[in-house]
Amino acid sequence: MSLQRFIEDFEEAVEDIEPNSLTAATNFKALEAWDSLAVLTVIAMVDAEYDLRLKADILKDCDTLEALYARVTG
Amino acid sequence: MSGFDTLKNKKILVVGATGGLGSAIARFLSTKGAALFVSGRNQEALSVIAQDLGVDSLALNLNNASERVSLVDTVGALDGVVYAAGVSPVAPVRYLKDAEITTCLDLNTMVPLLLVRDLLKQKKLNAGASIVWLSSVASSRGTAGYAAYSASKAALEAAARCLALELAPKAMRVNCLAPGMIETGMANAAAERISTEALAVHLKDYPLGAGRPKDVAAATAFLLSEAARWITGTTLPVDGGFSIQ
Repeated sequence: MSLQRFIEDFEEAVEDIEPNSLTAATNFKALEAWDSLAVLTVIAMVDAEYDLRLKADILKDCDTLEALYARVTG
Repeated sequence: MSGFDTLKNKKILVVGATGGLGSAIARFLSTKGAALFVSGRNQEALSVIAQDLGVDSLALNLNNASERVSLVDTVGALDGVVYAAGVSPVAPVRYLKDAEITTCLDLNTMVPLLLVRDLLKQKKLNAGASIVWLSSVASSRGTAGYAAYSASKAALEAAARCLALELAPKAMRVNCLAPGMIETGMANAAAERISTEALAVHLKDYPLGAGRPKDVAAATAFLLSEAARWITGTTLPVDGGFSIQ
């Protein structure tokens, strides 16, 4: 498990995100592709890949992928 | 003969009586004088409901065939069956787990069918009995993240139509209820995967606002009652107008 792997998983989960286009500092909520389906998909991805049931409202507390990764692994 | 008063002393099995909708249904039917037998997975929650209502109960895992058979053995002849157990996995298909799909289709579709099969084989359903299965507005709409759940409920409704024809000669009826957004534990669990904002937007699609468990309970009581004696094989939306748009 690593931050880089998490970023790749995130890129794969959210539609219309090019591989290797995001970084740890990316504000994912500012992405054009970030919508209610993306929220649902990222939560499902975290459940499937990281065995963690993330609540939708937790995503509000995070801005960057690094911060989100910290919540997933914390 | 009118509506709910015809439920007095009717022997009705409520399966899934520990859930948000199931417990509301059991409590509502009890107020109408029905003679209930309640069943659910959570022993502690079931004991509370059974004790509150003064009715017989049996805690069981519905996915376990032998436990299901013991339920059928235990109940007497019934005038009605309500199946309110179910699960709702929320995830896009590419992240749905094998177990989530299997459990969803088992508990939401196969088990209610198998339960009625076993009740029929053991002649536990009286002539004129009414069967009510809890479906969902999701059965007839496409909603991202709900593929397994929608499929399970659509299949349930299809099974109800076929079963209704098979049982009509015995004046038995089979119907589904399709609730929309109801304030229950399952809805809350689903809401954890949907942002508060998205949920608020969804709620705007309900002309009459969000429903209460009691709304579903009243509709269930109607379908169980003599007032619905000429209604079978159908699905009644209980959704505050959601599906008419």
